[in-house]
Amino acid sequence: MSMTPIALAASTSAPASSDTLPRGASGFPSPADDYREAPLDLHHHLVRRPASTFFMRLEGDDHRHAGLHHGDLLVIDRALSPRPGHWLVAAIDGELSVLRLERREAQLYLAPSRPGLATLPFEANDDRLWGVICYTIHALPAEGEQPAEPSCSR
Amino acid sequence: MFALIDCNNFYAACERLFEPRLEGVPVGVLSNNDGCVIARSEEFKALDIPMGIPTHKIDPTLRRRVVLKSSNYTLYGDLSARVQQVLAHQVPTLEPYSIDECFLDLRGLQEDWHALGARLVRSVAREVGLPVSIGIAPTRTLAKLANRQAKAQSTRPQVCVWQSANAPELAAHLARLSPREVWGVGERLNARLAGMGVLTAAALRETPDSELRRRFSVVLARTASELNGHPCLSMSDLETPRRSILCSRSFGRPLSDHAALAGALRHHCQRAGEKLRRDAMQASAIGVYLRTNPHHTGTFRHACEWTALPFPSADTQQLNRAAQRLLARLWQPAAYQKLGVMLAELTPRQQSQTTLFDGAEPARREALMEAWDAIRARYGRQALTLGPQPGDASWQMNSAYRSACYTTRWDELPRARAR
Repeated sequence: MSMTPIALAASTSAPASSDTLPRGASGFPSPADDYREAPLDLHHHLVRRPASTFFMRLEGDDHRHAGLHHGDLLVIDRALSPRPGHWLVAAIDGELSVLRLERREAQLYLAPSRPGLATLPFEANDDRLWGVICYTIHALPAEGEQPAEPSCSR
Repeated sequence: MFALIDCNNFYAACERLFEPRLEGVPVGVLSNNDGCVIARSEEFKALDIPMGIPTHKIDPTLRRRVVLKSSNYTLYGDLSARVQQVLAHQVPTLEPYSIDECFLDLRGLQEDWHALGARLVRSVAREVGLPVSIGIAPTRTLAKLANRQAKAQSTRPQVCVWQSANAPELAAHLARLSPREVWGVGERLNARLAGMGVLTAAALRETPDSELRRRFSVVLARTASELNGHPCLSMSDLETPRRSILCSRSFGRPLSDHAALAGALRHHCQRAGEKLRRDAMQASAIGVYLRTNPHHTGTFRHACEWTALPFPSADTQQLNRAAQRLLARLWQPAAYQKLGVMLAELTPRQQSQTTLFDGAEPARREALMEAWDAIRARYGRQALTLGPQPGDASWQMNSAYRSACYTTRWDELPRARAR
């Protein structure tokens, strides 16, 4: 497995602006200031369209084989068109449910992972569709540790 | 051309978005404190449960068939902003009109209006998940009427276009419509119009302009002109500008203790100050009112007092000091049900002065309030408060059936079940 390093800006929480640039002890601006860029904001990466993007939390471990775990944060973009291979949130039996969209021959199906549940034919403009899951965020806790949930309110 | 977009049964639709089991079920949304029904789904309307009915007066057999929700303005406000964002991407000018309506100014566009309307309705349904209807017409007044027609359509998408003021279907519609149904014509104007034989919206738009100006007002003459397809009203003509602010709430249970009331008052002053600063306004006068429950036995007490502020201010502490003095004067032992703070004579915030002695807010107070707002925005409203807030929050709202703040709180995200 290979990894590409990504340069992360210094640990400032606010984007740099001329008012907030740090100054050297002499009071003169640091020459490095000219090269500063705004830090990378993960939210902008995950949320391309704020108006149509919603967050949910996955309940249940039936999709664990596909890397979707109980408690994972789901990033859902309602503006995306569902295509085979997408994981979807759909309203099934009055409940927000996570299933995979699959194509078999020419027909699309909502495919459950839980044994005993039926595969459901999926139509174009199916009104059970809630949105397409574009990312999941999975915490990696140590043994016996609870996965940390975001605690701030914003 | 102008368009009015309105979210159908907005509050009920917001509740359904994250609770699909409510689809097809009669849903009613309750006022602050769960007092009465303020919004209804179509199924709820079909049961003939009227708007405004006190919650405890709903027939028990019907009560079992419906789902009641406490109002959740945090959720509704977030979804309303999303609807506006989706629309703003597609049209040049958008003017929000209320939490669930906005006008689009389509002047300068050359479009197939039906196609544009259908596209807007579909994109809101898809991207936000809420049903909307749209009326498109040459003026705002006509667009509002067209929207009502669109809502009456049983087919989807609900779009009604009146290409011109002379469109035959529009003329036929106005001939059946009471003037009261027209934007800006109230009950009183309607009665006076009836007195001079103007019984329909069609008759109103045929009344000579000079006569309307002479016998009524310029605004009504403009309304008639709008019905004839000439845009001449802006939103500010019909909306009273924000000249006052009111922060009030009924208590969950009656309060009589002066200290508890003072705590509730501090809370309201905080909110009033935040509203002022958000709108870059300052207030010159402040009022406090207190009242007991008018439906309960015992002496009814309603007390209200105003005072002028030493200088126009948007400083929460300044507002609170004045308000607490008023409360001390008003308070007598009684079981109070409601307390409110009112601000009046709002003016745009002046450039700040540097000293205390020239009758303006000192700059360092403004800086303090900026820091105050920033801290509360970042760490939550409980992080920094004006004095202790009552711990048991006995004066806080009853909202027994509130849905989660699905889109604004990490710990209240909707759950989606793996299948």
